[in-house]
Amino acid sequence: MTDHDLPVNGTLIWYYTVCHRQVWLMARHLTPDEQDDNVVLGRFIHESTYQRDKHEILIGNIKIDLVRGAKGSALVGEIKKSSRSEASARLQLKYYLYVLKQYGVDIKGMLFFPEEKRNEEIVLDEEGIREVENAIAGVKRIVSMPAPDPPVKTRRCNHCAYAEFCWA
Amino acid sequence: MKKSIYIFKDGQLKRESNTLCLITEEGKRFLPIEDISEVHILGEMDLNKRLLEFLAEKEVILHFYNHYGYYTGTYYPRQHLNSGFMIVKQVEHYTDPVRRLELARSFVTGAYKNIRQVLVYYERREKQVGATIAHIDDLGSALESTSTIEQLMAVEGNIRDAYYGSFDTIIGDPDFPFVERSKRPPGNELNALISFGNSLMYTTTLSEIYRTHLDPRIGFLHASNFRRFSLQLDVAEIFKPIIVDRVIFTLLGKHMLKKTDFEKHLNGMALTQKGRTTFIKEFEQKMLTTLKHRDLGREVTYRRLVRMELYKLEKHLMGERKYEPFVARW
Repeated sequence: MTDHDLPVNGTLIWYYTVCHRQVWLMARHLTPDEQDDNVVLGRFIHESTYQRDKHEILIGNIKIDLVRGAKGSALVGEIKKSSRSEASARLQLKYYLYVLKQYGVDIKGMLFFPEEKRNEEIVLDEEGIREVENAIAGVKRIVSMPAPDPPVKTRRCNHCAYAEFCWA
Repeated sequence: MKKSIYIFKDGQLKRESNTLCLITEEGKRFLPIEDISEVHILGEMDLNKRLLEFLAEKEVILHFYNHYGYYTGTYYPRQHLNSGFMIVKQVEHYTDPVRRLELARSFVTGAYKNIRQVLVYYERREKQVGATIAHIDDLGSALESTSTIEQLMAVEGNIRDAYYGSFDTIIGDPDFPFVERSKRPPGNELNALISFGNSLMYTTTLSEIYRTHLDPRIGFLHASNFRRFSLQLDVAEIFKPIIVDRVIFTLLGKHMLKKTDFEKHLNGMALTQKGRTTFIKEFEQKMLTTLKHRDLGREVTYRRLVRMELYKLEKHLMGERKYEPFVARW
C-alpha cells in the first residue's frame, strides 16, 4: 500500500504505542468487534459527554473530538474512557497539535477523562515533536508490511476488542 | 452478548419510542433494540420502511421463514463494517482456482471431521456405527486428492449419505425413520428436522458474517454468483453435525418432540409452530453453551465460535495464518 492509500491518523498514532497489530488492522479498516463491552462504553462516553462543545472537527486526516474556548484561550480536546493508556492518549493529542502546527495553528490540548472527572493539559514541545515524528514513521513502517506482526499475549489482550480475532 | 429474537406470532413489528414494538392479538410488547442482534420472523408480520431504516441504523438483521418454517430470505442492511482490503482478498481467493479449492477443501474436511466426531461419540455409547465410520474414513481419505470443486462436492455428498444412513441406528426410534434425504419439501419428520435445523444454522452464520468484514456473497465451496448469499453455507457445513444434528438427537432421544409436532402439507412434512418452538429453544440453548477456548483463554459460546471461525477465515485471506477448520474434541 502506498502513502496515498493510508493516511496516518490519530487512531493509528494511539494504537502505535498500544499494539502494532492493531495499527496494521485498523489501517485496513479491519475494525474491532463493535459489540465488545469496552467499545460500546467508549462510544457511549464519547457521544454523551461535553455535548455543549463542538464535536468531531475534521482537519485533513485527523478528527478532533472537541474544540473549546474563545480565540486566545482555545484548545483542542480528546475524550478518553479511562486513563489506562495515558501515554498513548498524550501522544495522540500531541499528534493533533503537531498537525495543527503544520497549518500554522499554535494551540493547547486537553485530555478529558470524564469518568474520572479529570483533565490534563498537553503542550507540544521540542521533545513532543520528535516523539510524534518517530511515531508517524513507525506507523508508516507497520502499515507497509504485507502482514501484521503475529499476536503476542499481553495483559492488554484481556480487555481488547481484537482478542477474539487475534486468538481465533 | 446480544440476543436473537424469534417471533412466531402474527402481527405488526414497528418502531416506537425509539425501540422495537411487537403488536399481536395479546397486545403490545417492547423489545429493547440495543440487546438484539437479529430477528427471526416465523409468523405473518406487517412491517414498514421506517422500521427497516431503524433496523439498518441499529445494525440489526431480519431473517424470514415461510408458513412451513422454510427460510425465505434476509433483510441484510447496508454493510456497516467495510474494508476494501478484505473484499479484495476474498475475491482474489475466489477467482484463483487453486486458492479457492484449498479453502473449499478445508470446509469439507471440517464437516467430515465433525461428522466423524459425532459418530465416534455414539460408537462409545455402543451404537453400531463402526462400519459407517470406516466407510466415511475411506471417503474422507480421497479429499486430499480432489482437484475440482465438483469432485469435492461429490465426496462431501457421499460422506453425508453414509452419515445420514446411520441416523436410524443412532436415533433408534421407529416413529422417526430416516429413509432418505429429501428436501424442498422434506418427505418425513426426520428430514423436516434436518432441514429446519440447517436453516437455523445458515441464518445464524449469516448473522455472524454481518458482524465481520467478510462479504456473504462470496463463498468458496458453494458457488458464488454474486447475487445470493453463499459464504454462510460454507462455514455452516462445519457446525451442522456438532450443533444441528446433536440438537436433533437430543430432541428425539429425550422424546421432546412427538409425531403430533409435525404436520403434512402438499407432499411434504413440516414442524408445527409448537414443534418449531421446542426446536428453537434447544438450538438456542446449544448455541449459548460455552466451552473453554485454549488460545483465547476464555469461555466462549458456540455462537462465538462461529464468529471466530470467520475471523480465522479473515486471517487466512489476509495471508496471516492458514485456515484450519474447527473440529470438536468430544
